[in-house]
Amino acid sequence: MNTSSNRSYQPSIRIPWGKIFSYLALIFLALLYLGPIFMLVNTSLKSMPAFMKDATTLATELRFDNFIEAWNKANFPKYLLNSVIYTAAATTIYIITAIFVAFPIARGYIKFSGPVLTLFVIALFLPPALIPQFQLILNLGLYNNPIGYIMLFIVNPIGIVILVNYIKTVPKELDEAAALDGCGYFRFVWDIVLPLIRPAVATVVVMHAIGIWNEVIAPTIYLTNKNYYPITRGLIVFQGVYGSNWPTLAAAVLLLTLPMLLLFLFLQRYIVSGLTAGAVKG
Amino acid sequence: MSYHFGRGWARWTPYLLLLPGLLFYFVVALGPSVATAVYSFTDATGIKGAPMHWIGFDNYREFLFMGRASIDNLDALKRTLIFCIAVTFLQFALGLLVALLVNQNLPGSNIFRTLYFMPVILGVVIQGLMWSLFLYPLGGPAAKLLQLFGTRSEFLGGQPSEAFAWVIAIQIWANMGTTMMIFLAGLQTIPSEMYDAARIDGANTLQVFQHVTWPLLTPSVNTNLLLNIIGSLQAWQLFLVLVGYRNGTQVLGYLIYATGFGQTSGSVTSSFRQGYAAAASIILFLLVLVIGMSVQYFLQRREQRILG
Repeated sequence: MNTSSNRSYQPSIRIPWGKIFSYLALIFLALLYLGPIFMLVNTSLKSMPAFMKDATTLATELRFDNFIEAWNKANFPKYLLNSVIYTAAATTIYIITAIFVAFPIARGYIKFSGPVLTLFVIALFLPPALIPQFQLILNLGLYNNPIGYIMLFIVNPIGIVILVNYIKTVPKELDEAAALDGCGYFRFVWDIVLPLIRPAVATVVVMHAIGIWNEVIAPTIYLTNKNYYPITRGLIVFQGVYGSNWPTLAAAVLLLTLPMLLLFLFLQRYIVSGLTAGAVKG
Repeated sequence: MSYHFGRGWARWTPYLLLLPGLLFYFVVALGPSVATAVYSFTDATGIKGAPMHWIGFDNYREFLFMGRASIDNLDALKRTLIFCIAVTFLQFALGLLVALLVNQNLPGSNIFRTLYFMPVILGVVIQGLMWSLFLYPLGGPAAKLLQLFGTRSEFLGGQPSEAFAWVIAIQIWANMGTTMMIFLAGLQTIPSEMYDAARIDGANTLQVFQHVTWPLLTPSVNTNLLLNIIGSLQAWQLFLVLVGYRNGTQVLGYLIYATGFGQTSGSVTSSFRQGYAAAASIILFLLVLVIGMSVQYFLQRREQRILG
């Protein structure tokens, strides 16, 4: 790419082949990501006969019939509310308990804090808990029950590790100073440490919440009553009924994609920092 | 570490507040995870109150050696490995290439980066439905494209091997952004002086990559390889959304779910063979363990050789 630099003279206009190639590759790849979304939008604006006639022609008018139909028929408000409840409840319980697990481990305020942390890391390598988890929920009488469903998501070992690592960057002198001022343990963690570790908490919350929101297996296993369905399950059921009516189905998918995309633009950095936490250190 | 927040009873506060989190973890995650091994030696069903018997290694014997079903199981095992190898290699290579392209900080590269990472937040259901539509066999965009080349395909509804290949492609499409982000984070830790020094020594682009970027990227290479291998061995959710439980396409993860929760025939009424499914879980776990550990061993030796 840089062969010209060895020559004794520099041509006045150099064609930046490296840049051109880079852009071509990036744009080609971008089409693979935009294509499916564009197809979704285009289909959702078409009528069923128009789609049957030719699936790929551009929609000629803006008609929102499909969106109205999808919204009315798919019971979306109910499913969305369920998803919000599950995600908010489980994430709240998880993050509060996780902070009080991570803080004493990071500080060594409990005996065996090292081994306790290892215990959490081990979970990442153990066999999937699918079957015994089901037996547990079943025998607790929480099968097909929102509380049982929420229970599945109040644990996340990776989040603990991220929090521990971040808390270690908070200076320990702070603890001593606060204690001297008569601040109690709970109040110290909640009022002083928590604001200081907000970036890590945000990352963990976002990662955990997205995991619950997008969960597709657990609802098929644990929830049979359709009043309890989260939106993922609702969408799959909707596909089962309207699978051949792509314009309506596309509208339904789009209704759920758009808010996620908007949210994504705001939350992207938290997701990325969660992903890369500890990933690049040796 | 000295504790400042009181003595006597007050010294127990951290333990008390830690307890709920630890308890949840034992009850919901660690306990069940370990119990999988126990269940794998029983004939447990998914029916409440049904008797459960200790049957030793019968589940394993049946899974690996008995009749037509075991041949299907071994096929699923083989397919899991193929899926893992294909996804790992392609996603790793593509993720690295894209990270290098994006890392040049060309105008607009932020937009590309965001775009490639987008599927991560959408989740498998939306990813799957999006592609089902894009691969609509009766004149969808992909079908039209093939028409240009004078060929056609049933895509996800076609031959099992064809559907399988499409799921591999979509799996990579969906997760390449994660690999890219981890590589990007690694690339940003490489000081620019290293590149400058190499350039001054007269290294061309390929040599800079070979002698500077690649060795210094070792930590992200390790992370990505392990994440991709372990992730793809366990991934099967896209199969559920894209093709369902179809002969000739199942991977181990799907097989476990289907036998454990009676989804084998697409109906909910067939039997819940949870002991058997637990045995299959343990087999998948051993597969992940053996492959993961060997790769980890190999990567650590390589890292010592390179970074000293």
